[in-house]
Amino acid sequence: MEVKSYNLLNVGVGGQGVIRAAQILSYAALLDDYKVRTAETHGMAQRGGSVASYLRFGTEVEGPLIPRGKTNTILAFEASEAVRIFNYAGPETVFLINESIIVPPMIHQMGMDYPKLTEIRTFLKEVSVHLYFIEGVEIATSVGNVRTMNVVMLGALIGLDVIPLKKETLEKAILSYLPSKLHDINKKAFEIGIEKGIELRGGSID
Amino acid sequence: MIRPEFAEENPGKKIIMLGNEAIARGILEAGVVIGAGYPGTPSSEILLTLAEMQKFYPHLKLEWSVNEKVGFEVAYGGSMSNVRSVAVMKHVGVNVASDAFMTACYAGARGGMVLISADDPNCYSSQNEQDNRYFGLHALVPVFEPSTPQEAKDMIKYAFDFSEEYQSLVLFRTTTRLNHGRADVILGEVKVIDRDYGFDWDRSRWVCLPSHSRVLRLRLLERLEEISNYADEFPFNSLKLSGKKINGIKYGFVAAGVPYSQLLDALNYYGIADKVSILKLGLVFPPPKELIKKLFAYSDEIVVVEELEPFLENIMKQIAFEEGYSKELTIHGKDIFPQNGEFSGEIYLENIARLIGLSYKKVSVPENILIIPPRLPILCPGCGHRSTFYAINQVEKMMKTKFVNSSDIGCYTLAVYKPLEGIDTEVCMGGSIGLANGIAKVQSLDNPVLAILGDSTFFHSGIPALINAVFNKNNMLVVILDNRSTSMTGFQDNPGTGITITNEPGTHIVLEDLVKGCGVSPEKIWVEDAYKLNETIEKLEEAVKTEGVRVFISRHLCSLVESNQFRAQQIITPSILVDQEKCNGCLICVNKFGCQALNFNEVYKNVTIESSECRGCKVCIDVCPQHAIYEEIE
Repeated sequence: MEVKSYNLLNVGVGGQGVIRAAQILSYAALLDDYKVRTAETHGMAQRGGSVASYLRFGTEVEGPLIPRGKTNTILAFEASEAVRIFNYAGPETVFLINESIIVPPMIHQMGMDYPKLTEIRTFLKEVSVHLYFIEGVEIATSVGNVRTMNVVMLGALIGLDVIPLKKETLEKAILSYLPSKLHDINKKAFEIGIEKGIELRGGSID
Repeated sequence: MIRPEFAEENPGKKIIMLGNEAIARGILEAGVVIGAGYPGTPSSEILLTLAEMQKFYPHLKLEWSVNEKVGFEVAYGGSMSNVRSVAVMKHVGVNVASDAFMTACYAGARGGMVLISADDPNCYSSQNEQDNRYFGLHALVPVFEPSTPQEAKDMIKYAFDFSEEYQSLVLFRTTTRLNHGRADVILGEVKVIDRDYGFDWDRSRWVCLPSHSRVLRLRLLERLEEISNYADEFPFNSLKLSGKKINGIKYGFVAAGVPYSQLLDALNYYGIADKVSILKLGLVFPPPKELIKKLFAYSDEIVVVEELEPFLENIMKQIAFEEGYSKELTIHGKDIFPQNGEFSGEIYLENIARLIGLSYKKVSVPENILIIPPRLPILCPGCGHRSTFYAINQVEKMMKTKFVNSSDIGCYTLAVYKPLEGIDTEVCMGGSIGLANGIAKVQSLDNPVLAILGDSTFFHSGIPALINAVFNKNNMLVVILDNRSTSMTGFQDNPGTGITITNEPGTHIVLEDLVKGCGVSPEKIWVEDAYKLNETIEKLEEAVKTEGVRVFISRHLCSLVESNQFRAQQIITPSILVDQEKCNGCLICVNKFGCQALNFNEVYKNVTIESSECRGCKVCIDVCPQHAIYEEIE
């Protein structure tokens, strides 16, 4: 696939595997022969903070940062985090969002409310009509391990047909970061994620 | 754990590496022997990756030093002994190392010597965003700055050859987006350096007393002159001349580091990369004068794209003045780009558009923006710091006073936030005790002065300040939060654990003995388990009310480290519950203690414990005045 530049912004909460997803996606992009750049949040953010990772690949990428409004796909492991970075999206941006909300501790003590999923949907619809929600945690739990949520989400990216990476390379990249005893369950999570993505798109994969 | 291919020979293989991993690979490829430094975001993964590589390359001699100055000196001792050596630290660490660095540059390098400074524009995890390129200018040492992980790997490998050729130290400056960004990197050959290692007893060089230093300074100036003359041929500098015009103006851009890559993206975005001249610098100091003069000759307006200070801009202006271009040439820099923070992608697009008269359409934003409250970084569940700060707050309340809580850099800095609000100062590593020395000189005795810092920070630079307090009778209570880990930067070991960077047994330094050795009277030293809240409160009160310089060591292993150990050993932690009959909804546990595992249910107005978050530390049992929280006994 000839791609000049593809920009993906992956967000979530520390502990959800955003950094791991960045490792996996960048390795997959390398296997597909792209020039790859990422920028990630390390350090203080791992303690329940907001985590964002920029991924850019293609024949014409130089720096790691994505300008606001220029993101092809926003992959959110937590729904409210997609809103936090909404201005990186434009009308053509595809949002793929895990339907769970992690309410930060101390919110009520500080006299604040945390937005509900319905508010998030309503708001993001005004940003882009390409809005897809997926019950990542439920699906991962049904697969047998809630920690496969990020693999389910990566599968859904393929199923939605919104990322110019080959299914086989992405699967290979996922497994390369896992001990062999976890391969079967993650393959299953990836497949179910793909099916879910196809279902969301309402079509079939080429 | 690193991926095995990071350490494999495999020259020519293309893999994905984090900037810091690529730097580590470059250090390995250069045949470096000694690596030392102190953990600090965004630099920590460099030495950690080397420590993993050490399993395959036993010639590597690595350490976490107690602070950056010692780390620098360890590396420089290596250079004196003819081995290639690297000192690794974050930008503010260079301040600590600078006493050694500023004079080491006089004597220069024998074995190749590189100081890595990981700068942090935007203060992602730092107390300031200082621009360490100035340290090169200040020390008269060349400054290298890579723009991609590949270049970082190749450039640092080259830096050691360069350092030996010119007998000069090299300052290798990076920024967060380079350190913590991944990219495709092609591996090179791992060099084997075959030479005799050992000290050379060259006193006229290594003894920097005045009569020697005057001579060494002349040599330093000569070296800088030689490097300056070579700068035009520096392999990581490049000049692309265009001579084309945009709206009648010939533009010449100057950039280095991550901004260079981002600039290329922006120029490509507007399709003008071929219509402008670009000087890309890998050597940001000293400047390549001939290249700069050529760029000037081809340009009507120069645009310097750099984060933070106008370092290159001022150099360009100086050269323009010296070479007689100052009248005909406009030099842009900080008149266009901000002097604070990191440049986001759109800063390039917006400002370049404005400069050259292109239109940049900002993204339209919905009218009513949905506000998402911030996720403040907070102490983890089961963190011993939380219980210690809670105890301090309780003692303060009992004594009906306000303490001055001078504090420091570490996870515990997060206690500044609600509900603990337990620290009043934070400036630099070890500063808690130093500042308390001054505060104690004038503070009313009604407000006891506390200095609160972590174990690693105490080893780093708290010790001299504590000796100072004892010596000068600056009375205070020093609280050492001893969690046996340098947690904020990734749980590195320290002298308090006695485990070295390569996981070998070193010597464990006993904190109680150390503070005794600093002159604190044995009867003025208290030690308690941070999880024992009532005992901690009792002893703390006694410690606060005692006169003189006192030390309270509040000890409990970092809860993240401990829970990982428990998981590995399959140890099940106690399960803690709330008796809803007894809970009266006073919310002291939630509003004053604030562990994330304590959940307040707004509908039922009661508190429950989220078992997936709870680490079973049992501190909240002692916090609850209603005795409603209990351990479930099966």
